Amino acid sequence: MTKRKKLEILVDTPLLKRIRDLSKQAGVYGYTLYPTFGGEGEAGRWIDDQVTGGAGSKILYVTISEAEIADRFLETLTPLLEEYGLMITVSNVDVLLAKND
Amino acid sequence: MDVLFSPVILFFVLGALAAFARSDLSIPEPLSKALSLYLMCAIGLKGGILVADNGFTWEMVLAAAAGLLLSLLIPIMAFAVLRSFGKLDRINAAAVAAHYGSVSVVTFITGNQILTSMDMAPAGYMIAVLALMETPAIIVGLYLARQGNNSDVQQKGDLFRETVLNGSVVLLTGSFIIGLIIGKEGFEPVAPVFQTGFTGLLCLFLLDMGLLAARRLRNAQTLTFRLVSLGIAFPIFNGLLGSIIGASLGFDAGTTTALALLAASASYIAVPAAIRLALPKADAGLYLAMSLAITFPFNIVVGIPLFTSISIFMVQLWL
Repeated sequence: MTKRKKLEILVDTPLLKRIRDLSKQAGVYGYTLYPTFGGEGEAGRWIDDQVTGGAGSKILYVTISEAEIADRFLETLTPLLEEYGLMITVSNVDVLLAKND
Repeated sequence: MDVLFSPVILFFVLGALAAFARSDLSIPEPLSKALSLYLMCAIGLKGGILVADNGFTWEMVLAAAAGLLLSLLIPIMAFAVLRSFGKLDRINAAAVAAHYGSVSVVTFITGNQILTSMDMAPAGYMIAVLALMETPAIIVGLYLARQGNNSDVQQKGDLFRETVLNGSVVLLTGSFIIGLIIGKEGFEPVAPVFQTGFTGLLCLFLLDMGLLAARRLRNAQTLTFRLVSLGIAFPIFNGLLGSIIGASLGFDAGTTTALALLAASASYIAVPAAIRLALPKADAGLYLAMSLAITFPFNIVVGIPLFTSISIFMVQLWL
């Protein structure tokens, strides 16, 4: 097992490209996107609504990387937390990697 | 009054009532998206075919110029009122103003369908005017937001893609051009899909829009009495302006009503995503609630019959 950091970022759909660009600058290249149906937070209730161009919809961006890269990525995201309305969770995970002979 | 008993309006009201009553009625999101694509495709084709049939005219150039003028003027006027009477800060006022300068495709499609059923079909080129009016207001809105503080506006290359190459603009313009190329004869094989089922599918889509608008209103947290008033006052003033301009340019009553509806409507398809990207500090809940939960239902239920009557009167006045 290899120790890694997993970042889960809930972001408004139109802002996803910004997150992807920032992740690449930080050296994060692999990620997975999850659709969401809706939810509720400080700003009220939101629902997945594709008709309005996804402006009110959110998407979950998940990436697993080495601790150093994850920290670098988090540093670039911290100033945007409020402006972009991001919700970020960080967890330590064990990853089973294929052995390269 | 007959307009209010049109099936498309009644389905919209049904959706809104169901949402207010907290019914679990819902249209699956992918179906809703597919319906909106179908409607934009069908209306674009229809406009292109009508223009191919009637040819290019000076009226068309005048309508495009009038549409452009309205989409540049409306956000500037709206911004001033939102700042003073609406008590909004600069970024939020600019974001909301951009929505009112742009147009609502669904309001236009619904109005177009009702006018056609009343033998007052607007000129086909109004579809091109609709596509033309989608984006200029976003640029005006961003300019207004930038005044005094550049750091609040995110100016990146992908904003161009989000505005000019927005899916709805591409589909409307693209299907309009396809309609121009294929003409009436080329349309016949696809007419069963794009013409026969059009009104029925519009009913289904408006049912969903009724649900969406009412749910958005129920969840709106930042709407004040002043902003709700403006959400109704803007379409009345802008629609009247569109009606006066259309009649003074010599358009028929149907085309004048279409221009009035374009001026009166606020975008909730193309603009919200672009504004969320360009002005992340603006409150998305606020501009979506004003355009989708206040102005859109007002235009569907009150605006369409109101601007039809005003336009008929204005056209007679100018004759």
